[in-house]
Amino acid sequence: MNEELSAKELLARVGRHDLAALSELYDRFAPRVFGLITYILAFRDEAEEIVQEVFLRLWRESKRLDQESSSVAAWLIVTSREAALERLRTQRSRKLRPDAPREGGAEEKWPDANPRSAKPLVAASLSSRAVSKPSDPRTRAGRPGPVGPAKAPATVRVPPAWLPRTGEIELIDERLGLLHKVIEQLSKSQRQGLELAVFGGLSEEGIAAELGEPLGKVRTGLRAAVAFVRHRRRAILGTWAADI
Amino acid sequence: MGCRHLEEVYELFLLGALSEQGSLELREHLARGCPHCLARIREAVETVYLLSLFSKPARPNPRVKAELLRRLHKK
Repeated sequence: MNEELSAKELLARVGRHDLAALSELYDRFAPRVFGLITYILAFRDEAEEIVQEVFLRLWRESKRLDQESSSVAAWLIVTSREAALERLRTQRSRKLRPDAPREGGAEEKWPDANPRSAKPLVAASLSSRAVSKPSDPRTRAGRPGPVGPAKAPATVRVPPAWLPRTGEIELIDERLGLLHKVIEQLSKSQRQGLELAVFGGLSEEGIAAELGEPLGKVRTGLRAAVAFVRHRRRAILGTWAADI
Repeated sequence: MGCRHLEEVYELFLLGALSEQGSLELREHLARGCPHCLARIREAVETVYLLSLFSKPARPNPRVKAELLRRLHKK
């Protein structure tokens, strides 16, 4: 039995409020979920809190997810990213309030607790270390200036109907290494922009401000980057269709 | 179909990177139940999934699971 199919079975059991099934799903997916959340947020205790929130939501929403035949792996990753970015945006807006500590005071809390500086997670895969460090979306979070709430739109909540099916995610997981190599083929600035969008939750305007580049250039670069990834993904997964 | 111009922005919409106006247009279009865009949005979720998995797995402290199960057991 492959992993994703059995995850589907576990999801059905969780839908019937089977605690042992949730425990098994946790063991299988918590490392991916926690890895993603700790990459977005600086503090481990906050990340652990969000891991719990995500699995509590899974407990509540499992029946509906099962009915929609949605991939539990996709739901967990998308939901974890949303939850972590929501927390990050709350931190940003709190720090941008006039009565909040200004740059120096707020900033000092971040570097030592920054998991990137202590234990690089993404390494050179999405953006090179030397490039990504100065523009770390979290260390910039407390700075008043260009990256403000107006330029950081609310996270898009993904309803179950939008989630891929189990088999589609299974195929991605099988070829993940190959798919990630595609990202490495992007230009440095495209990777930087994409990283700020995926892990920093920044809008096109926020990314342009963060990188100090014209909005038009950033916008064009981001669209070219996602188009490249999309086309290569279709080719690698063999899902290219004539009408796409 | 009148939605080909949206083709390039599904992923950016999901990532929250799209401008407010662009997001609104896409939301309104999806709300009308366009099957083409629904298929594309699912595909875009796959891209968001694979991009998000660039972060390396990390194991949370075992007490996180214990606390989670304790909370669920009480429910």
